Amino acid sequence: MTSPKTAHRLTRILSMLPWVIANPGATVHEVCDRFGYTPRELAADLDLVFVCGLPGYGPGDLMVAYIEEDEVVVEMADYFSAPLRLSPPEALSLLASGMALLSAGEASEALQRAVDKLQAVVLPDAPEALVVDLSEPDLVAELKGAAARGEVMHISHMSMASGVVTERDIEPWSVFSTLGNWYVSAYCRSAGGERVFRIDRIRAAAPTGETFRTGGHAPPPVVAYSPGEDDARAVIRLEGPARWVADYYPVEVLEDTGDTLTVRFSAADPLVTARLLLRLGAAAELLEGDEVAVAHHRLRARILARYGTRPGRERTG
Amino acid sequence: MQRVIERILNLLAFLLTAQRPVTADEIRMTVAGYDQASDEAWRRMFERDKDLLRRLGIPLELRPTDAWEVEHGYVVEPSDYALPDPGLSDEERAALWLAAQVVRIGGQASGPDALFKLGGAPVTASGEPLAADLGADQEALGVAFGAVADRRHLAFRYRDRPRVVAPYGLVHRRGHWYLVGPEAARPDEIKVFRLDRAADLTAGDGAGVFERPAGFRASDTIPKAPWEAGQEDLEARVVFDPEIAWWARRQLGAGSTITERPDGGIEVVTPVASPDAFIGWVLGFDDAAEIVAPPELRERLLALLGEAP
Repeated sequence: MTSPKTAHRLTRILSMLPWVIANPGATVHEVCDRFGYTPRELAADLDLVFVCGLPGYGPGDLMVAYIEEDEVVVEMADYFSAPLRLSPPEALSLLASGMALLSAGEASEALQRAVDKLQAVVLPDAPEALVVDLSEPDLVAELKGAAARGEVMHISHMSMASGVVTERDIEPWSVFSTLGNWYVSAYCRSAGGERVFRIDRIRAAAPTGETFRTGGHAPPPVVAYSPGEDDARAVIRLEGPARWVADYYPVEVLEDTGDTLTVRFSAADPLVTARLLLRLGAAAELLEGDEVAVAHHRLRARILARYGTRPGRERTG
Repeated sequence: MQRVIERILNLLAFLLTAQRPVTADEIRMTVAGYDQASDEAWRRMFERDKDLLRRLGIPLELRPTDAWEVEHGYVVEPSDYALPDPGLSDEERAALWLAAQVVRIGGQASGPDALFKLGGAPVTASGEPLAADLGADQEALGVAFGAVADRRHLAFRYRDRPRVVAPYGLVHRRGHWYLVGPEAARPDEIKVFRLDRAADLTAGDGAGVFERPAGFRASDTIPKAPWEAGQEDLEARVVFDPEIAWWARRQLGAGSTITERPDGGIEVVTPVASPDAFIGWVLGFDDAAEIVAPPELRERLLALLGEAP
């Protein structure tokens, strides 16, 4: 297996050559700027090109590539005058990235034009065949703006687990979308620590008038839940229709018989697990987890009361 | 690395100018860089080089050298090698580059290689306090997209059954990638597959093997709200209490009618095609929401909670 570095270097050479051929008189600075070269790297690649060419490999067969004064010169390389086509993963990642920002309302007109042009080349006969939808909830733009300007925001946030709304002052660092949800990562002044909030759970956000110093906080790559020590743990048996839970949540699979799947499920609040159990109905059975059993029992009773039914005999728990 | 790059540049120059299929033997004897190698070393070297060419996106094909098809040789068609020029301006390239830095696929941001091929752009950090991750296994996604673009069949395992699908389109919505298209055996029934549940994805050899129906829009196959996808045709009426009404409102699709109630809550009428998904969503509001109608939907919710009607 050849190293990715080799592939990267070749791609850059096969991209730089056609551009220089199409733009005679290009300066070292222009070429470096455009293709991310240092002048030394560019000189090394041109030297390499200089010793390659067609069979015979004599003076009339090799490509000509050098720097004169400040100008990059490439000659006798007509077969490399067209840029290399995009591989499917490359085409997809450029198109999907552009479409994602466009769908989130975060894009310039230039991006719209770029995506249209690229799509016409990559998917000429089916412009509607690729769709990327990151529909953006309210407040994303406000929170992003606050992060860029360093404005402290006052938010009303509803906890995922308990449904309780709290009021907080946060210093927003960045907003990001992952697994279909938008989040804001921030320093929470009220909690005195770093927190990540799901933006669709923020009811309202307004600037407090205070500012903070921005910079230095890279957006977290993914939101992954890792079980904490105080988490409510439960062992659940999942039958056929409920097996998706193992794909969707970070569970620990304890046993897989093919028909049923036994998993350990952890959550910061037993209510989260209880809600899931209710939703799965007979397809899931709680095998272990007292806290979850209690939460499940109570939640079920509350919902049945809402529907004017007193809880009858319980099936699980 | 230097020697590999020289060899590949020589090989490519030769293939692009040969204008006919050239056999492996001819390559070995003609192209600089292979001449010194022993049989075994040459074979390994050439296999590696072919891999590298394919990884760069260079279409290397094997074709008969003459009408008798006794010998086969390698071809790189200059027209297939070249990128059809999308005609991007510098400003448009820079916008694409910013997008590619901000959006990750499978946890990885795209490298600059694709952008270099398009003519390069000044490489700068975006500085945007914004990021998005489109999930998915990058390689599987690449295979699927290649098949969508070239109209090749896709073979994969899904729910423990092997399938061959004509991939009409690819959609990212609600955090997942979906592959849309009919199984080859039943071309009239367009299906939706979650890409992350499709295993052993392989694209077929033949390109252009299916036609999409006129006016096909991948977007139409996957509705915005999960309960709008399904076989049933119900209309649900649900009451949401004041404290969570704002949150319910945010998640409702355009097809819903929302009425304010005097207490600050809302009453919503919404189409339901998948009752299970809908009930699951309503249960997420605990006892702050109640399905008012139709009765069968109420009963299904109660049955799910283990209450016989």
